[in-house]
Amino acid sequence: MEFKLEAHRIVSISLGKIYNSRVQRGGIKLHKNLLVSLVLRSARQVYLSDPCPGLYLAGPAGIPAPPPQQQPGEPAAGPPAGWGEPPPPVARASWPETEPQPERPSVSHAPRVGDEVPVTTVTGVGDVLQGGEADATEAAWSRVERPRQAAAGEAEGPAGGWGVFPEGSLAARRPCGCPLGGEDPPGTPAATPRTACCCAPRPAEDEPPAPPAVCPRKRGAAGVGGGPAGCPAPGSTPLKKPRRNLEQPPSGGEDDDAEEMETGNVANLISIFGSSFSGLLRKSPGGGREEEEGEESGPEAAEPGQICCDKPVLRDMNPWSTAIVAF
Amino acid sequence: MKTPMEIKMFQETTADIISTVEFNHTGELLATGDKGGRVVIFQREQESKNQVHRRGEYNVYSTFQSHEPEFDYLKSLEIEEKINKIRWLPQQNAAYFLLSTNDKTVKLWKVSERDKRPEGYNLKDEEGRLRDPATITTLRVPVLRPMDLMVEATPRRVFANAHTYHINSISVNSDYETYMSADDLRINLWNFEITNQSFNIVDIKPANMEELTEVITAAEFHPHHCNTFVYSSSKGTIRLCDMRASALCDRHTKFFEEPEDPSNRSFFSEIISSISDVKFSHSGRYIMTRDYLTVKVWDLNMENRPIETYQVHDYLRSKLCSLYENDCIFDKFECVWNGSDSVIMTGSYNNFFRMFDRNTKRDVTLEASRENSKPRAILKPRKVCVGGKRRKDEISVDSLDFSKKILHTAWHPSENIIAVAATNNLYIFQDKVN
Repeated sequence: MEFKLEAHRIVSISLGKIYNSRVQRGGIKLHKNLLVSLVLRSARQVYLSDPCPGLYLAGPAGIPAPPPQQQPGEPAAGPPAGWGEPPPPVARASWPETEPQPERPSVSHAPRVGDEVPVTTVTGVGDVLQGGEADATEAAWSRVERPRQAAAGEAEGPAGGWGVFPEGSLAARRPCGCPLGGEDPPGTPAATPRTACCCAPRPAEDEPPAPPAVCPRKRGAAGVGGGPAGCPAPGSTPLKKPRRNLEQPPSGGEDDDAEEMETGNVANLISIFGSSFSGLLRKSPGGGREEEEGEESGPEAAEPGQICCDKPVLRDMNPWSTAIVAF
Repeated sequence: MKTPMEIKMFQETTADIISTVEFNHTGELLATGDKGGRVVIFQREQESKNQVHRRGEYNVYSTFQSHEPEFDYLKSLEIEEKINKIRWLPQQNAAYFLLSTNDKTVKLWKVSERDKRPEGYNLKDEEGRLRDPATITTLRVPVLRPMDLMVEATPRRVFANAHTYHINSISVNSDYETYMSADDLRINLWNFEITNQSFNIVDIKPANMEELTEVITAAEFHPHHCNTFVYSSSKGTIRLCDMRASALCDRHTKFFEEPEDPSNRSFFSEIISSISDVKFSHSGRYIMTRDYLTVKVWDLNMENRPIETYQVHDYLRSKLCSLYENDCIFDKFECVWNGSDSVIMTGSYNNFFRMFDRNTKRDVTLEASRENSKPRAILKPRKVCVGGKRRKDEISVDSLDFSKKILHTAWHPSENIIAVAATNNLYIFQDKVN
């Protein structure tokens, strides 16, 4: 569990760095962003593979994944039903994870890195670079506009793309319905823990304080079932799905969509960065795909569920972490 | 190991952070580049007969603005003026030549002295005003008269528009006719005389950028073999290439990589294995690489592991997450050989720098700081306490100041004189005399 928390934190920090790199003088540094994306990938793999009850909800194809180990002291309330409701189909696969779902429960805690990912996909950076490779200005701007519009009313923060953990936000929101903590000013590293959120302490309070293994999402999860359609279930993230860009068909229904959902915006955001990437302007073929993806994600992003990729995600993540750490 | 260094401290507090330091081939000149695009050259005083025991000091010789900030309108990008690297050319006449580069453009500068000026023109008076020919009744031959020494720097060549990515290295070839410039994905070979063309000799850009896994982090020519060069990668590997093998050296001749220690695996394993600097030994037999926590010496004849590994600041291994958060984990430390290749030096945090004697296996940590040093005082070795009881004079890991980092150092080619850049201060240390 500790690994998962650390991984979680590292993911948010990494995403913040990628976001901040946009405004760096001299253009985006390829080397640094490559390293950040590698860390991001490692952390994500650990996060997704670290078995923790309540976090693996719907397995592939909607099968509820049994919690591999029940942590002592945790309420027996298992994965709430209703989690894992798939978002509307998303056309694009972005995070090129290809680990088959059944492997997850048996995965060790140790972060696995590229050796298990067959394709050398530093997706984030790749997308950045792709985006940079051609004059994708129009595509980039259209993508920027849509997530922003979808996020209207939410705080502007390290934008879009934090869709890796979209569910958490909804999970936490629904029980208390409060807007979750402070707002991130744009550019704030996502890692900054936020304090004021009435939701945050709740999950932790109600669980036995001792084991940090408590997963507040379990509580939130109960609320999430039946949440706005299209919100990918928390924890059902990991779906490895071949990237759309590689011209492979999406492998499964809901889970693929879930993954697309959350990672789509990451890639989206990173593609947006690409337009300001130093020296890289994306040429047409990739640019064309991106444009298409951007459009597809637009309507989805407009749905309330999809906003999970924006601020709400972030807001939820940090109070959650803070709460866990506090206990 | 030689005795602790006697400080001969010379500080030049510049307005900007020093970004590169380099002695020339004789050690007479020391060049620094800074974040503001300026180059400052120091010259060693000639040892006078009166003060034989006093080593020559380095004084400012020339200052000039090498690069200015630019804006790439096509890509809407600002190009930083920060000088990434300076490399001297060997001296072939009275003038000095150096290459300086920022992210995108390499420039060849000529630094020359003028200590005479012509006087006695016929058609011009002393202020340079034209004289009315009708008033000239006699003719004279202009003569050269001494004047106050003036050092002027002029840009002789500008090598631009050849790099899409950020230039991280330049290296002058031993043929003194060509040099290479390396960016994240490509290495170009230039002839000093030709500025509108360069040859691309390494290109690791994948066809699909999403498949990018590593970038070039440093490159250097072999000191004697003009056909050989090495480049290091962000994955901790070094490739040695022979330009005779093919025009495009995408296939290496040698590949140096040490297998990863699985027990040290962490989220940040990849970052800390990224090589930040690679340097050939003066002999040309070894290469030294610097990654985040170690310095390694490799024998060119053995590719599967380094022959020596030195821990620079292993106590940081447990702090990698914090260092990742504050971006320190991305700091690019350089490393240098001494003239005889027996000692290697690299920087660390808290204005510490470390020296490792390859023969005796002894190492020392020294600090470049104004408070702790008086001119002519001996530098006291420092120690970082890694746990347990902290002795007096030791510094605990948590008290280290990570904003004070020594990334750039240089060692005189033949003497024990080192230049250490601590943010915006330059320290010059000389060995104890006796």
